Amino acid sequence: MRNLLQFLAKHNRIFVFILLEIVALYLIFSSNNYHNTRLVKTVRRTTLAWESVISDIRNYLMIRKLNADLHAENTMLRNYIAQLIPDSDSVDIIFRLNREPDSLSGSRYEFLRAEVVNNSYVRQRNFFTLDAGKVNGVDTNMAVVSPWGVAGIIISAGDNFSVAMPVINLDFRLSAKIKTNNFFGSLSWDGSDYRYAVLNEIPQHVEINPGDTVVTTGYSAIFPEGITVGTITDFEKSGSDFYHIRLKLATDFRRIAHVYIIRDKLRLKQLETEEGFYD
Amino acid sequence: MINRIFRYSVIFILLILFQVLILNNIQISGYINPFAYILFILILPVETAGWLILILAFLAGLIVDLFMGSAGMHASASVAAAFVRPFLLRSMAPRDGYEPEAEPSMEQYGFRWFAIYTLIIVAVHHLVLFWLEVMDISNFTGIMLRMLASTLFSTVMILMLEYFRKGR
Repeated sequence: MRNLLQFLAKHNRIFVFILLEIVALYLIFSSNNYHNTRLVKTVRRTTLAWESVISDIRNYLMIRKLNADLHAENTMLRNYIAQLIPDSDSVDIIFRLNREPDSLSGSRYEFLRAEVVNNSYVRQRNFFTLDAGKVNGVDTNMAVVSPWGVAGIIISAGDNFSVAMPVINLDFRLSAKIKTNNFFGSLSWDGSDYRYAVLNEIPQHVEINPGDTVVTTGYSAIFPEGITVGTITDFEKSGSDFYHIRLKLATDFRRIAHVYIIRDKLRLKQLETEEGFYD
Repeated sequence: MINRIFRYSVIFILLILFQVLILNNIQISGYINPFAYILFILILPVETAGWLILILAFLAGLIVDLFMGSAGMHASASVAAAFVRPFLLRSMAPRDGYEPEAEPSMEQYGFRWFAIYTLIIVAVHHLVLFWLEVMDISNFTGIMLRMLASTLFSTVMILMLEYFRKGR
């Protein structure tokens, strides 16, 4: 026993080192599964207050740019509404929307507004945090879109905050198609550059061109069909029968701040009907 | 002694705040994120007990982890850096050894000595950090390049901080 104690005392540095590394590795591996980040989440609650302050400051500094983006988006939406309802001016529409807040309830999708309070984009498994949670009706597997296009998917929802996995995460998968010819493939990220993603499984007989727009398919019952993902920058024929397509993401994850969460009201019904067929 | 503990506590808190509030929010060209909190591990007195350095490094890493949501990665990398430190200090010792109360600093041992010391410790830290983050060798060169770029950047950042702290 004494010898053992002496041995431990003499080599205490190595034992402390091994012990601490085991603890650290345990933390890494137990939280690597993103559905299982309970420890991180508990701790995050304490750091979120800080992050709100930091993101407030950052938003304030970017306010000019954000205003420009919002303005552009507003213009686009107004044009869109004007197309839908040709004989109305914008004042009339605002009046109607204010009086009938449920006028869109006939739609399959519902939009919730949220702000990004924390965000990472230099890592391999990036995440961002939104300031809306279960209280606001947010739940896991809801789509997140930015004013530019697809942003991510909610993977964890707390009472007041939720965490989303952006396209720029090695674990992200999305079914996406080329807008001009409707051929669909699997979208993922290769971990190299936060501005670009990869589209696979498009067969080589399909004609594609740089600049083609890639949009969501809606097959997964998370994203509605037809939301912009990005534009093709280049492609190559890989060894198999498929293209390896690189596309520039529409969403700039470095400046993502205001987002919309999309709730699919019929998601559960679709999954229920599909159960057992696509496994 | 108490004075010293107080001084190191202040440095510890300032460095963590600097890291979390400022450095974590500026990322150069989307690849490089400098980590300056390692400076704390570098400047602990030479005769600090090995286990104490390890535990302090673990705590520093863990706090940075909490703010970055990266449970354990910085803790692990910091502990590895702290483990290497005594070996490095021994091999870089001046001819007549360290003085009793010596602290590794730019002021005492010169810019060149401190730069080499910093570069090696930061490289160990970043090597562990970047590989733990990916755990995949399919993109070996890409990750090594990212790691080297970050290492250089963190080293420069730390040398600048050390210069403002002590150097002239």
